[in-house]
Amino acid sequence: MAQNAIIADNLTYLYGDLVAVDHISFSVARGEILGFLGPNGAGKTTTVKILTGQLKPKEGKATLLDMDVTRNVERVQAEIGVCFEETNLYQRMSAIENLKLFARLFGVTDFDSYALLKRVGLAGREKDRVENYSKGMKQRLMVARSLVSQPQILFLDEPTAGLDPTSSEAIRNIILEERKRGATIFLTTHDMMEADKLSDRVAFMNQGKIVALDTPHNLKQQYGKRALKARISSKDGRLESREIDLDTPQTADAVRGLFEKEKVVTIHSEEATLEDIFIKITGRRLTE
Amino acid sequence: MNLSVIRALVAKDFALFFRNRFYAYITFLGIVFYLIIYFVMPSSVDEELDIGLYAPVLPPAFKVLQTEEGFNIVSFDSDESLKDAVTEGIYHAGVSLPVDIMEKFTSGEKPLVTLYFSTSATEEVVNAIETTVRELAYLQTGQTLAIDISSEVLGTDMLGNQIPTRDRLRVMLVIVLVMFEMMGLASLISEEVEQGTIRALLITPMSTRELFAGKLIMGTGLAFVQGVLFMAIVGGLNQQSLLIITMLLLGSAMFTGTGFLVASLSRDMLSSMGWGVTILLIYAIPAFGVMFPGIITGWAKAIPSYYLVDTVHRASNFNASWGENWVNLLILFGFNIVIIWCGIMALRRRFQ
Repeated sequence: MAQNAIIADNLTYLYGDLVAVDHISFSVARGEILGFLGPNGAGKTTTVKILTGQLKPKEGKATLLDMDVTRNVERVQAEIGVCFEETNLYQRMSAIENLKLFARLFGVTDFDSYALLKRVGLAGREKDRVENYSKGMKQRLMVARSLVSQPQILFLDEPTAGLDPTSSEAIRNIILEERKRGATIFLTTHDMMEADKLSDRVAFMNQGKIVALDTPHNLKQQYGKRALKARISSKDGRLESREIDLDTPQTADAVRGLFEKEKVVTIHSEEATLEDIFIKITGRRLTE
Repeated sequence: MNLSVIRALVAKDFALFFRNRFYAYITFLGIVFYLIIYFVMPSSVDEELDIGLYAPVLPPAFKVLQTEEGFNIVSFDSDESLKDAVTEGIYHAGVSLPVDIMEKFTSGEKPLVTLYFSTSATEEVVNAIETTVRELAYLQTGQTLAIDISSEVLGTDMLGNQIPTRDRLRVMLVIVLVMFEMMGLASLISEEVEQGTIRALLITPMSTRELFAGKLIMGTGLAFVQGVLFMAIVGGLNQQSLLIITMLLLGSAMFTGTGFLVASLSRDMLSSMGWGVTILLIYAIPAFGVMFPGIITGWAKAIPSYYLVDTVHRASNFNASWGENWVNLLILFGFNIVIIWCGIMALRRRFQ
């Protein structure tokens, strides 16, 4: 059994003349969470569509769980769960009916829909029609639906977008539980904090290409600036800011000097965020 | 194909269809409405002409009128009361003979016979009565016609046994009833595309063949059950029932294929209705031909529903058998394959 759950090899896709995915290659190890980041139109969704068998690549090859996606679409789809960005639930059906339908489509027979709904915090509302649910409840049901077959690979597209903090936290916990179960998770998100917190590695995608792929820590090491930020009280009582770069030979002297000469009110370390790094690499913001 | 998957898809589609209040009500009320229309229509055809006669003196030759097939003669006491009855439209026509008719015949003069016609009398009725009166006058004056006439009905003699309006309408009603489900199905599919649920289905191990099989079974089943139920209630299955049921099944499948085409063109329920009504009107043209014989000609055979309408009409109203309809059956089957294939191809493109 190969170590990698997902292998993208030179994937390319075009919409007419527009290159949506431009010869990208990467792999995701079994049990790993890969954060897939990029602004709108970067090619993330097209990549997910290729990996999940919804689109055939014009060039290259996608392999999931040692199976060529193009040649084994149905077998691959039996092993994956997908949570879409748009809410595509059957609105005139209840939560339980939605889950049972997909369980039957996946051929899952020993399926406890109540337990799954309880896990995503929807117990007690399972017989209500989905059209009466709040956005957060619908999103949690979307996540639950992607889990009905206990997939080996989970594709989650913006699973917490626009949700309240409680719902977001509930979904993040489920993601971590799934990773614990052994699932590989392909997480597409705009939320840098979320990607940083959950992902083992993150990939930055821009204009159809992967421009960086590493652990959040390594990316910060490679592209970010580490600094100490201090607030000091001046002689006339005003608060002033001081910043000391942590990666220079003079750092130790600077820190010592700060404490000897100034009245330090607060001090904390500051590292670059993934957003800062993305801007540094691409010159664009993720939310563009 | 996985039957369990198809069963799940069909159950899901039925649930969604009947949870859409509009289509649920329309389906139920549609059957009730069409049944009401059928039962309020005349159940028999009045094949006699109602004619009033004022004859103070009835010449012997004119007595034939009272026994003539196709005429219902009612005598009046005065010319005025005859005119009033015709004016009110109670009678198609009135024949008023003068008091001195026999004297005039005897003296060789021309008696003046007055004919009254209601405003709704057709040219054929006017001509028929004028000709009959002239013929009787010839007979009365001892002149016989110089020819003998031999009448022969080619085909089934329907004299006294004409198809009532409601039984002609029956074909139209069942076709429209079955076709209406085409719009419901199209709306359901376009809603699935617009809401993205179809994408969620296509990401499961289910194949697109199973998806289309589910939709075909659901659409055909819904239309077929309604069609058969309606025909059974209105007595349309009293003869050649198996042939009619087979044709309704083929017709329902063809309308489901058309529903796929409509769904591939539609964005929502309104556009499904727009496209659906347009196609429904085209498909209904052959049924108008049954209602009003002679208004459409051979070009109607280019409309796929012609073969369904023609067979159901001839089988239910004239007891036409399998042997007389096998060509229609084959052609309808051919149209089924073409339309369903085109519908699936168009929908596949839409899904992508």
